[in-house]
Amino acid sequence: MFRVITAGLRAHAARLVASTIAIVIAVGFVVATLTIGATTRSTVLEAVGARYVSADVVVTGIQDPAGLDADVAGLPGVGAVDLATSTSVQAVVPGRSGAQFLLVDSVAEDPALRWQQLAEGALPDRPGEVAVSERVGADVGDVLTVATYDEEGREDASQATVVGVVDLGGDPSAGINGRAFVTPEQVAAWGGLGPSELRIAAADGTDPDSLVADVRAALADRDVEVRTGEEQAEQEAASVTGDAEILTTVLLVFGAVALLVAGLVIANTFAVLLAQRTRELALLRCIGATSRQVRRSVLAEAAATGLGASVLGVGAGIGLAVLASALVGTDSPVPLAGVEVPLSAVVLGLVVGTGTTLLAALAPARAATRIAPLAALRPLDPAPLRSRGGLLRLAAGLLLLVPGVLLMAGGVVGGEILFSVGGGALSFLGVVLLAQRAVPPVVAAAGRLVRSGGVTARLAGGNATRNPRRTAATATALLIGVTLTTAMVVGAASTRATAQAELTAQYPTDVVVTGNTEDGVPASLAERLAAVDGVRAAAGLQAGGVTGPDGYEGWTLGVDPAAAAGVLRSTGDLPLPAEGTAVLPWWTVEGWGVEDGGRVTLTGDDGPRTFTVALGDTDYPLLTVGDLTALDPDAVADTVWLRLDDGVDPAAVVDEVTDVAGSIVPTAAVTGLASERAALDEVLDVLLLVVTGLLGVAVLIALIGVGNTLALSVVERRQENGLLRALGLTRGQVRGLLAWEATLVAGVAAVLGVVLGAGYGLVGVASLLGDQGELVLSFPWLQVGAIVVVATVAGLLASVLPARRAARTPPVAALAA
Amino acid sequence: MSAPVPVMTIPGEPPPAADAVRATGLTRTYGRGATAVHALAGVDVAFTRGAFTAIMGPSGSGKSTLMHCLAGLDTPTGGQVFLGDTELTRLRDDQLTKLRRERIGFVFQSFNLLPVLDARENIVLPMQLAGRRPDPAWFDAVVARLGLRDRLRHRPSELSGGQQQRVAVARALLSRPDVVFADEPTGNLDSRSGAEVLDLLRSSVRETGQTVVMVTHDPAAAAYADRVVLLADGRLAGEIDRPTADSVLSALRGLGA
Ligand SMILES: Nc1ncnc2c1ncn2[C@@H]1O[C@H](COP(=O)(O)OP(=O)(O)OP(=O)(O)O)[C@@H](O)[C@H]1O
Ligand SMILES: [Mg+2]
Repeated sequence: MFRVITAGLRAHAARLVASTIAIVIAVGFVVATLTIGATTRSTVLEAVGARYVSADVVVTGIQDPAGLDADVAGLPGVGAVDLATSTSVQAVVPGRSGAQFLLVDSVAEDPALRWQQLAEGALPDRPGEVAVSERVGADVGDVLTVATYDEEGREDASQATVVGVVDLGGDPSAGINGRAFVTPEQVAAWGGLGPSELRIAAADGTDPDSLVADVRAALADRDVEVRTGEEQAEQEAASVTGDAEILTTVLLVFGAVALLVAGLVIANTFAVLLAQRTRELALLRCIGATSRQVRRSVLAEAAATGLGASVLGVGAGIGLAVLASALVGTDSPVPLAGVEVPLSAVVLGLVVGTGTTLLAALAPARAATRIAPLAALRPLDPAPLRSRGGLLRLAAGLLLLVPGVLLMAGGVVGGEILFSVGGGALSFLGVVLLAQRAVPPVVAAAGRLVRSGGVTARLAGGNATRNPRRTAATATALLIGVTLTTAMVVGAASTRATAQAELTAQYPTDVVVTGNTEDGVPASLAERLAAVDGVRAAAGLQAGGVTGPDGYEGWTLGVDPAAAAGVLRSTGDLPLPAEGTAVLPWWTVEGWGVEDGGRVTLTGDDGPRTFTVALGDTDYPLLTVGDLTALDPDAVADTVWLRLDDGVDPAAVVDEVTDVAGSIVPTAAVTGLASERAALDEVLDVLLLVVTGLLGVAVLIALIGVGNTLALSVVERRQENGLLRALGLTRGQVRGLLAWEATLVAGVAAVLGVVLGAGYGLVGVASLLGDQGELVLSFPWLQVGAIVVVATVAGLLASVLPARRAARTPPVAALAA
Repeated sequence: MSAPVPVMTIPGEPPPAADAVRATGLTRTYGRGATAVHALAGVDVAFTRGAFTAIMGPSGSGKSTLMHCLAGLDTPTGGQVFLGDTELTRLRDDQLTKLRRERIGFVFQSFNLLPVLDARENIVLPMQLAGRRPDPAWFDAVVARLGLRDRLRHRPSELSGGQQQRVAVARALLSRPDVVFADEPTGNLDSRSGAEVLDLLRSSVRETGQTVVMVTHDPAAAAYADRVVLLADGRLAGEIDRPTADSVLSALRGLGA
């Protein structure tokens, strides 16, 4: 039997290429994820742990340092003790303009406890000397001007000479601020913040673990944490890599999706290969092979393929991690130095890859054992196999789908994202099971739709549905990828729209320019700013003094409602005043005792006037320009509101606006939320891009599956294609036939996937944001349309190679049985 | 036995060649060098318009190869093939393909029909590929003659072997091609179904002047033809006019088959 397997593998090696690629990609993805995760952890551990390599025992959580070091120093087995202290200062490095914020740590007096790796120079021995991290950008011999502030905020300047530069390796906390190392006395002089931890070096021959116990006992009444240096390093590393761990988990979810899709592709490949070998297997049965032997031979073939592909996948994954590590380095939120390949990743990759392949081959293998020996004698008719599994699948699918949908509904109503995620996962599994049943009729219907496309289209419609299970599996693989991608795109669009709506309501003006002087700004400022490239509209506001009901005169703004309407993005939180209406800040409810819709009396130079009250998000009372000048004839132009064009780079426009405003009014201040809005967009865009890219892996595998199924069908239909050629189908028409078939399957999968994905995306957004104020649903028609087009066209492309092969079928092939 | 078939001539055009298909100096070699197989080693043969001709010979004598070359399914190594006035050996693949669907009909031994199409769709397929509409009266006549009227909506897998062959014959006849080629059309059928198919082919020759060329192993089948062309080792090895099963059998014996 073993001979038969190896012969089979050799004979079908080419046809297993697609399965192999699918597994390589999926396994590679998983292994790369795990490897990068492990590398991040070890990189951080090494960097953070550098501080603790010299310390055998670390005491943290110190409340009262008095006598602490003395208590410990007397213990047997203690070699050296260092009470670490820290502070922070502002320092100016020669040659650099601004002051930078430095975190300052003390250097241990005992050399055994000094952990800093010097890139240059030495560690400080006396006050007035400092060693700095490379980030500070100072050289040995530079003199830093250091400013510290006492409790009253008085500045106290001192100087320190740089005697050394410390290499912090990949310590992620190093990137944010510069670090400085000085003697404990200097830390105290710079306003030390109290001891952060006590580091203890064990005497030679003392076991750290027993020392920990001794120290713990000695400090039992002090309520401190005592750990070995190693434990402390791991503890700190974990707090730094927390985010990276979440990332790893998320990536593994995508890896699981990729594996699922790969599994479908493989199951399909084996089903087709075995269908093609029905006669061969039946012949084996005829000459005496038991059905168990047949099944085992099929599974052994799957195991060999899976193992081989998994080995390649593990290699690819490690390669990918090396590449990522080389590209990213330590200077990123996911610091990577070298690669750390955990054995678990290799084993998991092999097990998962081989396991998926075996699992995927299980159903086809069972089907193969049902082949009757007599099938060898019947003319080969690729009649679809009926399976009892169908009913079971239908039941299981419904059992998953219905509760899943109910859970999601609950999630939307209750605004519980966890319910929705659980329901989504359940129902999606149900959908995948049901797709086996639902897809073929849809493809058939689509096939009827395109019948007008001519004979080839009609033939393709027939071909696409002649083997419903195969079509369903091919389409489902693609469906999964498309559904998830669409869900992400739709979810992101609504999230963005909702966040934007919230932002515009809160901050309806893009940019606000204020003069910051009592004398006001030239009336032409608004015009000048409106002329800046990227500014769509500007509205100038007047300001004057008006006395409120409390008797105090306050700064009050006057606006031209018509001009302002073109500038504000939303009047939801900031209504514009009409003649006779005053828009008042929320504090006036308490301060002036007014209420929305009530009346308020404001007093100007010519006496009091009464206004209708509207409350809104404004810093100062807001009247129409007419009302303001009636109250205060001396009101001056003061503020300009700007609205920017959509799609411009707000930072650049704001810079330009700042320059123009500064040249006219030197005291002008420019503020606004335009850049926050853009930053939010950017974050969402990047997230979306990354996620779409990851899901692209699943779509890619699925498309390999489409091409694979077609290629196998071409082999199977060689005679048929020959007949068509004999009867007058040109080569181009043969290619068209395959193209139509691919388009039908991929198109149906894409459309169904988009519909499902849109539903999931909207459900997700509704339950995530539903309880946080107003939900704005936005449907990105363009992107969703693009997904359909891309998936369909990619399916079409996947048909190119099989189609070329089919077109080469000579007409006489029909006659060679 | 055969009635003379009137040949229509259109005024103003050159008279069509008397032969429907004609081959001169036809060779077809598989492989090269020492292992080369000369499936056809120089064949000159012509098939009269409106006649039913059978090609016979021992297994491996080159019958199928000859038919494939005559029908534009295979490209000969040397020599020329004419379908009427058209020289097939000069045509490119696409032209050949169009010629096949417009001017040639096929009946094969097995696997004649596309499994995804029903009988009706299979019958009209070549005409549809050519973008032509079948003449409804002629379609009805062919279908009626072949007794397929109540089988038109059936898929091939729902038809018996004999019915499938009859559908293939209907397809071949529908476009009124210049020639119908049949390669062992009765090879897979029992004698009664085989006789039916052969009757249909012969009556199409008698009644509508269809030209039919058929490869067969069966002397009884060859007896339906007007003429038998004998092939041996890739060469012409004789002809029998108005064959009978006995005369064919003895001729074949002479060839050592
Ligand atoms: N594709 C091919 N490659 C190599 N040799 C071939 C090929 N096709 C046919 N032959 C050889 O050409 C010769 C003629 O074959 P052909 O099929 O024409 O014979 P035939 O008369 O139809 O035989 P049969 O009665 O068995 O159908 C045979 O020797 C055959 O082995
Ligand atoms: Mg033959």
